[in-house]
Amino acid sequence: MPTNSFMTMNNIEKSFNGVSVLKKVTLQVNHGEIHALLGENGAGKSTLMNILGGVHQPDGGTINVNGIDAKMTNPRVSQGHGISFIHQELNMVSDLRVYENMFLGSELLNKIGFLKVDEMCNKTSEILSKLGVDINPKEYVRNLDTSYKQLIEISKALLHKSTLIIMDEPTSSLAEHEVERLFELMKSLKKSGVSIIYISHKLKEIQQVCDRYTVLRDGEVVGTGSMENENLDNITKLMVGKSISEERFVQKHDFGPVLLEVNNLTSPGLYKNINFTVRKGEVVGFTGLAGDGRTELFESLFGYRNKYTGEIKINNQLVKIDHPYKAVKAGIGFIPKDRKENAIIKDLSVMHNMSLSSMGHIEKFGYIQEKAELEKFHYYKEKLNIKVHNPRITIDKLSGGNQQKVIIAKWLEVNTDIIIFDNPTQGIDVGAKREIYQHIVSLAEQGKAVIILSSEAPEVLKICHNINVMYQGEIIARFTGEEAKEDEIMSYATGSKSEVEKIG
Amino acid sequence: MKSLNFKSRLSWLWSEYSVIFAFLIIFIAASIANPRFLDINNQLNILMQVSIIGIIALGMTVVMLSGGIDLSVGSVLAFVGVVTVLALNASGSILVAVFTALIVGSFAGFLNGLMVAKGRIASFIATLGMMAAARSIALYIAEGGSVSGEVPGFTLIANSDLWIIDYPIIIFLVMTVLVYILIHKTRFGRYVYALGSNEKAALLSAIRIDRVKLGVYTLAGTLVGIAATIETSRLNSISSSSSGVQYELDAIAAVIIGGTRMTGGKGKIIGTFFGILILGILNNMMNLMNVSPHLQGFVKGLIIIIAVVFQKRD
Repeated sequence: MPTNSFMTMNNIEKSFNGVSVLKKVTLQVNHGEIHALLGENGAGKSTLMNILGGVHQPDGGTINVNGIDAKMTNPRVSQGHGISFIHQELNMVSDLRVYENMFLGSELLNKIGFLKVDEMCNKTSEILSKLGVDINPKEYVRNLDTSYKQLIEISKALLHKSTLIIMDEPTSSLAEHEVERLFELMKSLKKSGVSIIYISHKLKEIQQVCDRYTVLRDGEVVGTGSMENENLDNITKLMVGKSISEERFVQKHDFGPVLLEVNNLTSPGLYKNINFTVRKGEVVGFTGLAGDGRTELFESLFGYRNKYTGEIKINNQLVKIDHPYKAVKAGIGFIPKDRKENAIIKDLSVMHNMSLSSMGHIEKFGYIQEKAELEKFHYYKEKLNIKVHNPRITIDKLSGGNQQKVIIAKWLEVNTDIIIFDNPTQGIDVGAKREIYQHIVSLAEQGKAVIILSSEAPEVLKICHNINVMYQGEIIARFTGEEAKEDEIMSYATGSKSEVEKIG
Repeated sequence: MKSLNFKSRLSWLWSEYSVIFAFLIIFIAASIANPRFLDINNQLNILMQVSIIGIIALGMTVVMLSGGIDLSVGSVLAFVGVVTVLALNASGSILVAVFTALIVGSFAGFLNGLMVAKGRIASFIATLGMMAAARSIALYIAEGGSVSGEVPGFTLIANSDLWIIDYPIIIFLVMTVLVYILIHKTRFGRYVYALGSNEKAALLSAIRIDRVKLGVYTLAGTLVGIAATIETSRLNSISSSSSGVQYELDAIAAVIIGGTRMTGGKGKIIGTFFGILILGILNNMMNLMNVSPHLQGFVKGLIIIIAVVFQKRD
């Protein structure tokens, strides 16, 4: 092992609820290097970093920082070892000033307990100028660009004399010139001896700034090495793995007429020039990285967002959708992502959640017919194999997979011709995943038009007839389900390939 | 295993119906403390005293289930009362007066709903504005004083009885049943819970949440209109300055004691019903025991806080 090693995580193991997430993972970071940590969604990157940051405790393995064995029992201990974690969502209080944010939780006080404002401002200016940025420490954070907020997070890390900074997808919300600024800063930090662990999906960026890399796949290290003499295709292959074409759930069959047609849909800052069609019986997938605009696009289509231009045609009829209610009337159903925030009503029972969007089906003279509601519940419980013994318990008592099935049942009962699934298998175990895939496929076989949004390329490969890849708000490539290769999708999704739109 | 199950059932029973237990305890304590408490006339007297606040609290429950609050109920009651008396005296018709009360109350509620649903103003702020405005207009119309009805027969609404039960009690009970059905047996009620629990998910379930909000505040206003009719009829007059003062606090107290969650999505009409009875019994007890009226607010405050502490928090 090279003597230059600054931080080593050795044989880290971790499992959640019996599911192994990390299997003997070793990560070694040298003094003054930028180390890329790569892997697909769910590969275990965040778990590993949360262990380093003291958020989770490992089941096995050791962490060594600067020659000392460290037990990261909580985030404060981790900070004490000089480790700072800059999360994807910045932890800034936007109504406070820059220096107040910098010193939040560790304010400098004078003898009688008043704030030493001048001293805090001076220190803030000092660090900021070291980073080559010129911001007034008394400026309110809400008035600053996102990139500056990132800089302040980094300054905060320096203030705490951090020697290892973890950056989780720092560029996902930055514009191009802001990314440049961040990279320059990272390089100058490196020169001053600070090490950085850089998590990103964007391989091009990684090639630009990182010295070495480690690739995780399914909780295991599948490759590590120097960035210099590595080409991006090899890394993509490592991330994706060799077992590329797993079983496909969806069978080829004849499609009906075009049901949904979208022309030139644009919403400034979210997505632009979106064109696609979906036919009866077709499953169309949309994939890409976080922040590629696909969720916003379909939230617009469902009427949750109103500010867009372009036209939407259903059954060749131009429709104007500005409320989810109208979307349902027009024949669109939408199963959103982030179940907890967007889909389940946690105070309502399982049965009431299921019937919420189709109350008309169980009403008689304006009254809810409890018997009819119960019948519907039992029908879908059987059909979707929902594991719940009592329809009257609140939905938050169910496991993620069963909650998702309840939400799917809710929309099956609405029975729209077009159904959009956004990340349908988020946080769901393998068994339930398979069941959900089969239901999606059978919907298509019944002649529905199905749209799948997923950040996991293997998922769309398994269940889609046609796949659209999105990058920064645009559809950048199209594949048919059979010919698409996961590594090719990833190349487009990560922006490392961006030729003229490829129509497959 | 079985005892654990029993224990969990008991804790479920407690969390769902703790207000009924509390009611029984207070009821028994009151009957032991003073034998006159159990007298049927005293019992009816309690119901009579809580009927006006009770009707208002039903509407407040629906508003709070939807995740809002209505601070304007007391002022709107005074405003509706004043307008009702004017309509009564001008038309000479009791029917016209009652319709006026219902329509003016509903309209005030509808305005609250518009501000909350379409104006996207926090319900606390919107109804605070309505509270100040409605009181001010009532004072202006009545020139700061009281207005009295000049049509005989109007007072019969609040001062008649069926067998021995006064009309206001009957109206309160009927309203409780109606609101109960509306909340637990119809689509509207289901939507109110969904809205209060998770507004975004409710919207993404294709619920027209703006309409639900309008409905919720309008309903609360209608119930205030009914309460105003009873209040005005009882003494055949209404005071623009003192009628309805602090009614919003009593109504909110009853809802909270009844176990409805401040942030919405969880609660029961039956809880509010017993919450209002608890408040009524306490008032009655203190009167029977000659507790200074100045101390009664203290006891009420204490009970609200104890109720919330004991209710299962999530």
